[in-house]
Order: sequence, then C-alpha cells, then structure tokens
Amino acid sequence: MRIVRMSLYNRISVFRAEQGISRRQLADAVGVNNQTIGYLERGDYKPSLELALKIARHFGVAVEMLFSFERFEPIAMMLKRAGEDE
Amino acid sequence: MKRPVIETLLSRLDNTVRWTGIPARVADQMSDAPSVDRKHRPLRWIPIWPIAFSCALFILSLTWPSALGRVPLGGAFLALVSSLNGVIFALLPMIHVNGPLGKPSLQDDEREATLRKDSLLFCLGLLAFLNCLGQPFLMILSHWQNWQTAHSVTVAISALMLNGTLLGCLPTLYASWNLQQLPKE
Repeated sequence: MRIVRMSLYNRISVFRAEQGISRRQLADAVGVNNQTIGYLERGDYKPSLELALKIARHFGVAVEMLFSFERFEPIAMMLKRAGEDE
Repeated sequence: MKRPVIETLLSRLDNTVRWTGIPARVADQMSDAPSVDRKHRPLRWIPIWPIAFSCALFILSLTWPSALGRVPLGGAFLALVSSLNGVIFALLPMIHVNGPLGKPSLQDDEREATLRKDSLLFCLGLLAFLNCLGQPFLMILSHWQNWQTAHSVTVAISALMLNGTLLGCLPTLYASWNLQQLPKE
C-alpha cells in the first residue's frame, strides 16, 4: 500500500496572536521547545496526536479548529461572509 | 611579584575550557533555574573539517605504499597518521558534546527526538553501507597490491579513525543542516 503524505495546515499563530501569548509561553504550556512551536506554525513539522490535543486544549477549542488537511479560509473572508449573513 | 609559570599555564588551560562554552552550559543545566531561551547551535561547517581530514588521511594511507617502503616498517608514517588522527579525536568531543541537537537527549521534545533518531539512523545506515562496500574493496586491494604488515596496520587504523570520526560528526552535521532558521517573533 502506498503511503500518501498529506499537508497538514494549522492556525496556531492566529490563536496565539488572538490570546496574546508568545511562542515560549505556548511551548511551556504544552511542554515542548519554543522552536518546535515555530516549526509547527510554519508547517515544517507535523505534531503527534498528543501534542495536537494539548495545543487544542490549551486554546480551549476542538483539534479540528486548529489543524486541517485543507487550507483554512482567510479570516478576512470569514468576517466578510459573516457580515453578509447578518 | 612574578607569578609562577605553572599557574599561568593552568589559568590559560582553564580559560581555554571556558572559551568552549561547555562549563557555562553545564552550570546552566545544573542550576535550579536553567535558561529557557537556550537555542540549538547548528554546527553546519565545523564537523566537515574532521570528516574531510579523516577522509584525506584514509586515502593517503591507501595510495601511499611507496613511502612506507622507504621508511623502516612504515613506523614514521604510522606515527604521523596516528598523531594527526589523535588531534582529530581530541577535537571530536567538542562536536559530540553538542551532539546532534546540542543538548542531552533527556530534554528532547517529540520533534527533537525524531530529528535525533533520524540523524543517528542516517549516520548508522551510511556507515553500514560504506563498511559493507569498503571491506571487500580493501581485501581485494591488499591482495592485489601485496600490502606489507605496516601498510595494512596503517590502513586499518585510518579506517577505524574514519569510522569514529563519521560516527561522531555525521549526526551533528545531518541535524544541523535539517534545522532551518526560524524568523524572530
């Protein structure tokens, strides 16, 4: 069976910016090196399930809100759509 | 009052050890509050020098049998190879203490553990491949060129030193080139 490597997208940096915490604070909270958070945000590293769940728990969201196999919709587009819905 | 020479020499040795940064790093790691912003120090170029030097000596020991014949038992050449490799081996811990990731494996997180494992697997795989190819090659070469004992010993020591150098330096080199620079926050 051929293993298909899929890209894993995340929006850790968005949540981090929203909560106003640094890479190091997040790294300390989930027990990794702050460089690992940097590589995660850049998409250079795919986290283990354990780390993904820890990050999601830290932000208080479901893991699907943070990680996806599809590109996340830009926030500007989401806001625009939400405005149109209202 | 003039200080004794031995004190100056010891002070200089102490300063040299401090200059490596290893004592400060060990003190930091053993302190109650180790610095949290310690970053990996990628060694992208330094490990290449011992590898290149060991390779050069190995090739020299293979391709220089005529010089061995002129020197009694090849002892001088053997001593030269051994002493030069001794210098390399003395420098290796400076690279190996830093290790593939520049810190003890106990402190690794999952990404670092993966990178360390990949580095060591790459190194061991390459060494196994090179040794599998090299052993029959050396046997054929020794038979073909009718090596004397001194030459065989020189080649064997050089090969051993080359293996040691690769084992010490390749994981660091691999990990250092795999660590990409992160932009500052």
